[in-house]
Amino acid sequence: MTQEILISVRGLGLTYKVRRSLFSPIFVSALSEVSFDVYKGETLGVVGKNGSGKSTLLRALAGIYKPDQGLVRFDATTIALMTLSLGFDPVMSGRDNAIFGGMLLGFDSEYVEAQLDEIKAFSGIGDAFEAPVRTYSSGMLSRLSFAVAMKVSPDVMLLDELLAVGDESFRAKAYEAMREKIASDQTTIFVSHNADEILALCDRAILLHEGRIISQGDPQNIISRYRKLD
Amino acid sequence: MAPSFSITRYNQQHLLPYLLEFQLTTIQYLTLIDTLARFHLRGEARQFYLGYFWWLLEPALYIAVFYAVFQLLLDSRQPDYLYFLAVGKLTFIWFSKSVVQASFSIETNRGLLSQVAIRKEVFPLAAIQQGFYRQLVVLSFLLVLLFLSGKGQFHYWFWLLPLMFVQMLLISGVGLLAALVVCWHKDFQHLIQLGMMFLLFVSGVFWDVNAVADADVRRWLLLLNPLATLIDAYRQILLFGSLPKTDLMSVLLCQSLLLLSIAVGAYRIFQSRIAVRVLSR
Repeated sequence: MTQEILISVRGLGLTYKVRRSLFSPIFVSALSEVSFDVYKGETLGVVGKNGSGKSTLLRALAGIYKPDQGLVRFDATTIALMTLSLGFDPVMSGRDNAIFGGMLLGFDSEYVEAQLDEIKAFSGIGDAFEAPVRTYSSGMLSRLSFAVAMKVSPDVMLLDELLAVGDESFRAKAYEAMREKIASDQTTIFVSHNADEILALCDRAILLHEGRIISQGDPQNIISRYRKLD
Repeated sequence: MAPSFSITRYNQQHLLPYLLEFQLTTIQYLTLIDTLARFHLRGEARQFYLGYFWWLLEPALYIAVFYAVFQLLLDSRQPDYLYFLAVGKLTFIWFSKSVVQASFSIETNRGLLSQVAIRKEVFPLAAIQQGFYRQLVVLSFLLVLLFLSGKGQFHYWFWLLPLMFVQMLLISGVGLLAALVVCWHKDFQHLIQLGMMFLLFVSGVFWDVNAVADADVRRWLLLLNPLATLIDAYRQILLFGSLPKTDLMSVLLCQSLLLLSIAVGAYRIFQSRIAVRVLSR
């Protein structure tokens, strides 16, 4: 693995108001003083309990949330977040969603359309590819998200619990595809609750707790520390 | 001194993540808006048994209801009331439906919003583009109807083009602003619906603004309500075969441009705060 730093985060902080009724707003400090580096071609695991700020961190890195504090240095052209089901328009078919999703990353429609057969085949959802996404089961949504992510990948892939759903055979296939991506110098940041996944796929990991990084480094150590929390 | 967020770049050739939304070129954005609009129209039509036929059926039913009430029950004295009503109502529906759909478009697309950094104008503008496609079909149908019935005037038909252009500007300005305020407080959705109802009554959809007896009231009505001016202009061109008044048209153009500029400025200021507003709701 090369040691070229692709993303460097220093002192990142993000606070947001979660209740916006007329009275008594609630402010939540989702991230504070978060600092870490991401090296080119590595797979970085992010672990932490529910509400520890994992998803917020990925959203901040993807440029979806603008942090209030800190410094991010960045050297990549495209970065995108892949989550389970959310990124689809429920009215549109799987095919149309795949095309539009690719275009959002800046690929032209011809390029994405040329990948459609492979996306359809990889997802293994068959004719449902032409059906509106609102009719999909959660397993099908995750299959489609994953297939799109694998075929039209951004420079930096942020995966939020994407491997969590799907049947045994698809998960095996997804693992295999992830391994190939990792071998091919894809930079990936990977959120998971599954310790085995982190251990199997990640070069390094960070442990988030209440919006702060409490430990980072070797996945083995991070996972044992994660298990000792609370 | 309070620390603030800043970004620097390693490599001058690459773009910054928080400016990523500006990474796509204008052409790419326009393609994106149009693609989203077309895909969405297709997906929507597939939801219904009658599919695309609803594009015509829905406005036709509206006109039928209004016709039944104002002509058959209340006996409007307006000559050729059906066509008079159709021109007004179709212009109004184009405006109101586009603005209402634009107003919740960002909220509806929260899934996409949570995945990629993208200019948020894409969603309301795609909703507006959908309205435009629908209106092209509806208006063509109306023109054919006017032609076949012999009730239409076609001397100044080419005036439809600038008129539709100005209406697009007006819809874009109002639609973009509506979408933004709904992101801030969902409560605005109620006000927008109510506002549309109010506009339906004060824009001369089922009555003629020129029939208002008091000249001052008439003038203010047209000056303050761009929609009333628009509807009247369409009628002048299509039904009465005369040109719309230049002074009112200039005011309409200025109002539309002003609203659009305010909207563009507001998105520039609030761009980076929209996603967190919507997603943390």
